[in-house]
Amino acid sequence: MSMMHASGVKDAITATSVPPTASLMRWVIAATLPGIATMSYFFGLGIISNVLLAAAFGVALEAAVLRLRQRPIRVKLNDSSALLTGVLLGASLPPASPWWLIGVGMIAAIVVAKQLYGGLGHNPFNPAMVGYALLLVSFPTYMTLWAPPQELLPNDLWAQIAGTLPTAQLDSLSGATPLDAFKHKGEAVLASEFWAASPLPDGTLSAWRWVALAWLAGGAVLLAKRIISWHIPVAMLGSVLLLATLFYLSDPSHFASPLFHLLTGATLFGAFFIATDPVSAATSQRGKLLYGAGIGALVMIIRTFGGYPDAVAFAVLLMNLCVPLLDLYSVPRPTGQQKASPGKPGEQP
Amino acid sequence: MSNVYDFPGGIYPPERKQRSNQSALIQAPLPGRVILTLQQHSGQPATPCVAPGDEVKVGSVIAKREGMICSDLHASISGTVSEVGTTQITIDGDGQDNWERLPSLDWQRAEPSALLERLNESGIVGLGGAGFPTHIKARVVERHAIHTLVINAAECEPYITADDLTLRHHANEVLEGAQIVAKLCGAQHIMIGIEDNKPDAIKALKHALSNYQPINIELKVIPTRYPSGGERQLIKRLLNLDVPSGGLPADVGVLCHNPGTLLAILHAVRDGQPLVSRVVTLTGEAITQPGNRWVRLGTSVRELLEQAGLNTPELHQVIQGGPMMGSPLLTLDTPVTKLTNCLIAATLNELPPPPAESPCIRCGECESVCPVALLPQQLHWYARAQDDAKLERYHLFDCIECGACSYVCPSHIPLVVDYREAKSRIRLQRIEAVKAEHAKHRFEFRQARLAREEAEKQARKQARQAQQRRSSTSAAASSEKVDLRGLRIAHAAAKASVKKAEKTLARVAQEDPKQSLDDLEMQLATAQENLKAAELQLAQAREQQSSEESP
Repeated sequence: MSMMHASGVKDAITATSVPPTASLMRWVIAATLPGIATMSYFFGLGIISNVLLAAAFGVALEAAVLRLRQRPIRVKLNDSSALLTGVLLGASLPPASPWWLIGVGMIAAIVVAKQLYGGLGHNPFNPAMVGYALLLVSFPTYMTLWAPPQELLPNDLWAQIAGTLPTAQLDSLSGATPLDAFKHKGEAVLASEFWAASPLPDGTLSAWRWVALAWLAGGAVLLAKRIISWHIPVAMLGSVLLLATLFYLSDPSHFASPLFHLLTGATLFGAFFIATDPVSAATSQRGKLLYGAGIGALVMIIRTFGGYPDAVAFAVLLMNLCVPLLDLYSVPRPTGQQKASPGKPGEQP
Repeated sequence: MSNVYDFPGGIYPPERKQRSNQSALIQAPLPGRVILTLQQHSGQPATPCVAPGDEVKVGSVIAKREGMICSDLHASISGTVSEVGTTQITIDGDGQDNWERLPSLDWQRAEPSALLERLNESGIVGLGGAGFPTHIKARVVERHAIHTLVINAAECEPYITADDLTLRHHANEVLEGAQIVAKLCGAQHIMIGIEDNKPDAIKALKHALSNYQPINIELKVIPTRYPSGGERQLIKRLLNLDVPSGGLPADVGVLCHNPGTLLAILHAVRDGQPLVSRVVTLTGEAITQPGNRWVRLGTSVRELLEQAGLNTPELHQVIQGGPMMGSPLLTLDTPVTKLTNCLIAATLNELPPPPAESPCIRCGECESVCPVALLPQQLHWYARAQDDAKLERYHLFDCIECGACSYVCPSHIPLVVDYREAKSRIRLQRIEAVKAEHAKHRFEFRQARLAREEAEKQARKQARQAQQRRSSTSAAASSEKVDLRGLRIAHAAAKASVKKAEKTLARVAQEDPKQSLDDLEMQLATAQENLKAAELQLAQAREQQSSEESP
């Protein structure tokens, strides 16, 4: 009945019709460009230097570990996954990040979170978010250096990258992100009072909104090219919107509006570029819906009740932890089976 | 096309059917020599019934069926048997093409048993690829009620056009063959499933159908998508029925046949012509005259391709079957069998070797194309880890090996190869486990037999002693205290286990008459031996007790 299968045969047509893994990665990198461009327009060239530095660290670290592990360096680097991790972490960091901060983040991402687990395809956690979370808990001062739009001058840039910017100037650079400001507005302050006091430098809010829309544009490209499936972004944004709406309706004077949650911070970036990392996400389509919804819910819970203003990194990492469980309980029902899983393993199927 | 249902997944590989569907269906030249392999179907190989030197005609039986899943084999040319090997029979042709036919049968009047016997003696097997003996399939009605006969004309694999051309040239005859099968299995309804990329075959079928007013034959044109020709997928598409996992289409009252098989059935019944030739698609860029030919079974692939203008320097590999599920031939010196539906002589450019495999990134492409709604990415993971419990949880055995997952994998992982290896590994383990269980039962039977013999010996000894006691009248010193109660319990337990074994055997035999019952019969015999031993021991103990009380 079954003749020997020839791998050469069926893959033959494949070679020309489906983009290989490397090209999937490059498409994701390409789709980050609108977001990165918009960010650097509003927040200065520091964003671009972050991305370039992180990508360079990523490739160098990956090559170094591959060499230690005695794996084919050129072939593996060619899949562009380390480059992508660098781009994603670089795009998440504040514009005034010194080189060593980026380096530490990338070591956590590439060496610890990815290669120590066996490299591409084997990492249970999203590497970029492991790097980001480590930096956020270890270097909180640097990680909140979000300068007001256009504040960082080009001649400061080198000093900033080199990490030699004087402390005084560093302090003057630090401005709150909208999420941060709203989070620390104080218990008694009503939302209306908070906004009336114009708590953010001019243009900050609209800058963040433009950035969010740029990520959305990149995400739309990925969806249109079928590089990512709709399940995770839709589930994540859906659950953010749902919970934000519930909170907002329950007490509009203390909770931010759903649109505010959607268009500030890393919500859209996370939904299209971070949560959709296939390696560390849930596997089945049903699992992906649960996974995305879980991230959205955790983002809202941490933002509202937790200690961190933005929460995408922690939410993604926490849901990464749940993936084995989600995978186990979201097996689809195959055609012809009565139910998704037979009662006992070992039963004659 | 409006009222068809959907199955999940599926892919759209380049069809590449143009190359072989442009020319008419013609006869291949009569081969000078044929090699007929004894295993031309699923199941047991046939047993030769000719010797070297025997003269045979086209249609003479040269190997008989032995066992249930097996099929007769007939000479495909007239001439002399030159060699009878362990796996094949060679016939040197005389160039005369003399035929030996069976008498013609009128299927509308013939008894079903006569039709079944005709299918049996004509050596017909499913010509779509699986090669299941047709007469066994026709007897399905003994166990299942069949309401619909599906003619599987989807032919969804790229390159292959054998069914397409068969229908264009023989639509009427295929439909007549379908009616024979429908009569045999009691199907009230015949449904033709055909992909919309075969407009000429559809036209021929429509034309043929116009002659069949009173009979309930329905033509359903389905959109082209691989693998809609999979039996389960087609039944889902046409009838919206799910064939149960591990079951057969007959479980939902459906029987599937491909057009080539139906044509062969008609030839066998109407013309008394056994299965000695079939339609083979010759295609690929390494031949200059592609097309479909009627080919005598046993014709050498090399000969066939050379007649079709083989460009040897350009040839990279020859694939038997389609590019999705077929297999590359290791040598061209291999004969056409009942299962050879297509030969692709491919150039390196046409079907290049796959790029190097890279790690799975769980992108889920494979999941989105799986026609059975499995999780191929998880199966891959567990297959490589040899985690059999997980493989079963993720339904490895529901995989139909269509290769859609491998086709879309961006990491070029040969997924289906993994699944096949895992499946055969698990099957082997199961066979081993059954064997070990059987050995254990044989051992237990032996122990029980020895125990029974021992008990018999004891009984004889006691009887002798009792006689001696009576004759000598001296008080016996047998002060051994007997545990009568314990023996009574053991006896009751042995009786119960005999009953249980009988019941199990009867139930299993009823459920599946085909199954081998050796092991269960062995277990019953063991229980019976145990019962006999217990009975003897009990009788002996009672005797002893009474003799102790009476003096």
